[in-house]
Amino acid sequence: MRPNVSISDVVAAVEGEMIFEGESNTVQWVVSSGLMSDILTTEEEEILLLSNLNTTQLVRTADMVGANAMMVTSGKPIPDDTVELAKELGITLIRTKYPVFEACHKLSRLFFKE
Amino acid sequence: MPHRFPLNTDKAPNAVLEVILRLKVKDAMSKTIFSAKKNDNLRQIQHIMRDKGVTGIPILEDDRLIGMISVNDIISALDYGYINEPADNYMTKSLIVLEDDMPLSFAVSYFDKYPYRRFPVINKEKKFVGMISSRDVLSALLHELNNEITELENKLNNGRNDVPGSITREYSIQKFDFENAGKASFELKKILKGLNASRQVVRRASVASYELEINIAIHSNGGKMRFEIDESNIIIEAVDFGPGIEDVDLVVQEGYSTANEWIRSMGFGAGMGLSNTKRVADEFEIQSELGKGTHIKSIIYLGGRDEA
Repeated sequence: MRPNVSISDVVAAVEGEMIFEGESNTVQWVVSSGLMSDILTTEEEEILLLSNLNTTQLVRTADMVGANAMMVTSGKPIPDDTVELAKELGITLIRTKYPVFEACHKLSRLFFKE
Repeated sequence: MPHRFPLNTDKAPNAVLEVILRLKVKDAMSKTIFSAKKNDNLRQIQHIMRDKGVTGIPILEDDRLIGMISVNDIISALDYGYINEPADNYMTKSLIVLEDDMPLSFAVSYFDKYPYRRFPVINKEKKFVGMISSRDVLSALLHELNNEITELENKLNNGRNDVPGSITREYSIQKFDFENAGKASFELKKILKGLNASRQVVRRASVASYELEINIAIHSNGGKMRFEIDESNIIIEAVDFGPGIEDVDLVVQEGYSTANEWIRSMGFGAGMGLSNTKRVADEFEIQSELGKGTHIKSIIYLGGRDEA
């Protein structure tokens, strides 16, 4: 059973910045890769897609796998068309200053209860 | 300089680009040409212009173009009183010519580049074969664009008049167009949601379609995505125009990739595309011929997977 983690907890954990707040308030898992076709192989549901990629293809990939939210790492600037597409498709977009590894580490506490 | 023709640009719609590249100079040029010889005098040439209503006369020796006489040359001849002299001494001898096999886009750019209103056309054997004016270009383009747009409109109407219980859509995908790649799959997803397909089915079909669409953008010279949805199947086809795949068994292996660093920096080329498409599809078929192209067909059962 995957946990229901609220988007606001996710944002707080990575000291993130809410770029766009979409329809879903929670996520159940995190899938991370810099390669979109890796992400497309996942069978997880209700995910946060975490990536160092900031292009529109990040949003399209998120849409195809039905992701609830996306997070861009390393404080990368996010192009306008990426933000626009996220709004159009209603998918939450978050940015964190941390690189992928640190961001995953900080998030892991929310998803692995031991 | 007047504004440039807005035709030969990167941003032109594909239908227009296809037309100006497919059409050759010889498809647009006039072949009925009134010519003269170098020993004909300018008065004779003036009369041809007047009688036939043309403003430029090529001067030929056998089949070869050796010069041009324009209306301006005739005006000068009348002005300075040498109208009865042979063309040879007064014709323009250094000429800008087009070849009949060049795409029409060349002719368009020549009209941008040079101040002339018409260009002589020669063939590979350097024989004079015709003349092309901006009027000829305009007429050929309008003719062809009419055909092209009629075809596009028919296609759109086809989509609207789907057979009951069946939906077909087709989208063309351009090489390296990562800005738009994914839009066809997005449309498929919308259609499937509208049909109330299950979440799993929508997701598997979207992933299969997206992988194939991105593949066309990355690896092919461009191609098409075709969707056909009937009562029981979602048929997703990716057809491209080459270059074809050498070893089909190899490319469906996980992790096999021919993508370069540039493609990877955009998040693609993990070597998972085809194996992933195969994974999510209920049926998967790939045919490829080197130099010709690749045709991939993946089918997802609308009712979901048979769990038994």
